[in-house]
Amino acid sequence: MFSFLRGITGQRELTPELLDPALAKMKEHLINKNVAADIAEQLCASAKSNLTGKSIRGFKSASSAVRDGMEIALRRILTPRTSTDLLRDISQARLQKRPYTISFIGVNGVGKSTNLSKVCFWLLQNNLKILIAACDTFRSGAVEQLRTHVRSLRAVTSQGHGEVDLFERGYGKDSAGIAKDAISYAKANRYDVVLIDTAGRMQDNEPLMRALAKLVAVNNPDKIIFVGEALVGNEAVDQLTKFNQALRDFSGMSQPRQIDGMILTKFDTIDDKVGAALSMTYTTGKPIYFVGTGQTYTDLKNLRVEHVVKSLLRL
Amino acid sequence: MVLADLGKRINSALSEFTRAPVIDQKVLDQLLREICAALLEADVNVRLVQQLRGNIKSIVNFDELAAGINKKRVIQKAVMDELIKLVDPGVEPYKPKKGKSNVIMFVGLQGSGKTTTCTKLAYHYQRKGWKTALVCADTFRAGAFDQLKQNAAKAKIPYYGSYSETDPVAIAIEGVEKFKKEHFDIIIVDTSGRHKQETELFEEMEQIQAGVQPDNVIFVMDATIGQAAEAQAKAFKESADIGSIIITKMDGHAKGGGAISAVAATDSPIIFVGTGEHIHDLDRFEPGPFIRKMLGMGDMSGLMET
Ligand SMILES: Nc1nc2c(ncn2[C@@H]2O[C@H](COP(=O)(O)OP(=O)(O)OP(=O)(O)O)[C@@H](O)[C@H]2O)c(=O)[nH]1
Ligand SMILES: Nc1nc2c(ncn2[C@@H]2O[C@H](COP(=O)(O)OP(=O)(O)OP(=O)(O)O)[C@@H](O)[C@H]2O)c(=O)[nH]1
Ligand SMILES: [Mg+2]
Ligand SMILES: [Mg+2]
Repeated sequence: MFSFLRGITGQRELTPELLDPALAKMKEHLINKNVAADIAEQLCASAKSNLTGKSIRGFKSASSAVRDGMEIALRRILTPRTSTDLLRDISQARLQKRPYTISFIGVNGVGKSTNLSKVCFWLLQNNLKILIAACDTFRSGAVEQLRTHVRSLRAVTSQGHGEVDLFERGYGKDSAGIAKDAISYAKANRYDVVLIDTAGRMQDNEPLMRALAKLVAVNNPDKIIFVGEALVGNEAVDQLTKFNQALRDFSGMSQPRQIDGMILTKFDTIDDKVGAALSMTYTTGKPIYFVGTGQTYTDLKNLRVEHVVKSLLRL
Repeated sequence: MVLADLGKRINSALSEFTRAPVIDQKVLDQLLREICAALLEADVNVRLVQQLRGNIKSIVNFDELAAGINKKRVIQKAVMDELIKLVDPGVEPYKPKKGKSNVIMFVGLQGSGKTTTCTKLAYHYQRKGWKTALVCADTFRAGAFDQLKQNAAKAKIPYYGSYSETDPVAIAIEGVEKFKKEHFDIIIVDTSGRHKQETELFEEMEQIQAGVQPDNVIFVMDATIGQAAEAQAKAFKESADIGSIIITKMDGHAKGGGAISAVAATDSPIIFVGTGEHIHDLDRFEPGPFIRKMLGMGDMSGLMET
């Protein structure tokens, strides 16, 4: 049947010569979607080694073979390997009669304080009692920013639906100490969750990275969440590796902590250039807990892996 | 600092290239591959990189190059020109004029560093003897006025803002009027962060601009931005009369290639780069000299003689 088509539609073997042009296109395509160049390169290299020697059938072209292979790889990288159920973890801490602690870390201006407030709103809706620890004691207005959020969060929380308070010690103080005091205060006053806001810092700024490692070492928070913006390009990789490295090198702990997961902010500003989601999960192997999609409290969503995969491959 | 690693990489590709015994298409392709990879890793916009590659290729057409012409020289010059084009729109930046009130408005994406940079710039002019003031027209972000107020107070710069007024247009107009009456030389207006996907926020920016009639609009971009930079920069340009660019957070590891795509998108020069969170951390930027220095022009001209 259809044997006359055999010449074109029969099996063909994928050779490097067939694959290379398709892979070069794919690489540039991924970079254009804001995937870090290095990662796009590595993904294409592994696609090449997976596909070389495989045979394709019918009208299928090398580029569609590359696309199919890439789709599977992307989905695998983006799908969380660990549980992202914070509410369950919080209720476990509750059974142990201690507050659950989450620290928000990252470079300057990515949305740590705003998304901390969004997470707070979500926790309030789940009837929890929350303490926000103002541990950015450096940036002008950082404390007032959180105070304003606490006021607004209270205004939108109906009676008996959770509580939120601010723990602050002003500016210029040691942030590790403030976090510690906040956690003790939370324990004594039966708060369910402590959300620790930290100052933004550049990953190469050693004194500031040391201070962050100290905050983590002293307080050993239940979750260390790295806040990164979807706008970030190739820097995503360097930021995450160096934050992890600092936590490892400067903590003085025998079993140092690492980033547990990410919040990907400003997802509403990038159209379909969603590559940062891939760069971040590829670099850490850790899940994206939330995606920030705007500047109001309800703009906090779960990452839809299929949406990201589709956007990444869309021409 | 800025783009230095990128410069190193391009430089080593160029010197590799000058060592090649024969200059042919293959050697040129290898050079372009290296340069383009370096640019992409620095977040330069994919389309701009493709364009740069295309332009160099069309300048260096091996079939048409007359015999006896120094091909190395032609190619090096083409590369240099194209790189300069990336950061130099060939437009003179706005210079504040003595004897009048110069109004400068800051715009940009959320968290790019507007508020911080406003104070840095005010401080910069103040030290040079200009009478400078700040207006906070960000009524949206929590703590925005406190932030500007604390920064301004530290630098002893007069400021205007309100905790109760919610209309940024009204505040901007009031603040600028007040400081104009008081004969300030430079009045800098800080605005909220915004992005092109929110039409209302862009309309607000247009209204503020119409209200204060700025002499210069400065677009602030963060050095870490990737491939989304171009579309955002273009949209800002379409709504606001952007005249200059400041790239912030150049003290980090980022090479700023994403942010420099704003140059092409807005046809505006980069005038300063931010290099830290402190008030002094602002460096002047001049495109031509910068690229020449980045590529070690001295070495290059030496190589060009060969
Ligand atoms: N469009 C958009 N803007 C956001 C999002 N998340 C935060 N922002 C905005 O980004 C800006 C910076 O947010 P912050 O929360 O102050 O950032 P930060 O990381 O705490 O900043 P520093 O503490 O100064 O390092 C603010 O204007 C926020 O409203 C988001 O998901 N989408
Ligand atoms: N390391 C470094 N940090 C900077 C620089 N410029 C600004 N920042 C930091 O970036 C963060 C955001 O700066 P802001 O000035 O609040 O940014 P913005 O554009 O006014 O933010 P919105 O008003 O929320 O849109 C703050 O933590 C600043 O300290 C810089 O050149 N280097
Ligand atoms: Mg903050
Ligand atoms: Mg601001």
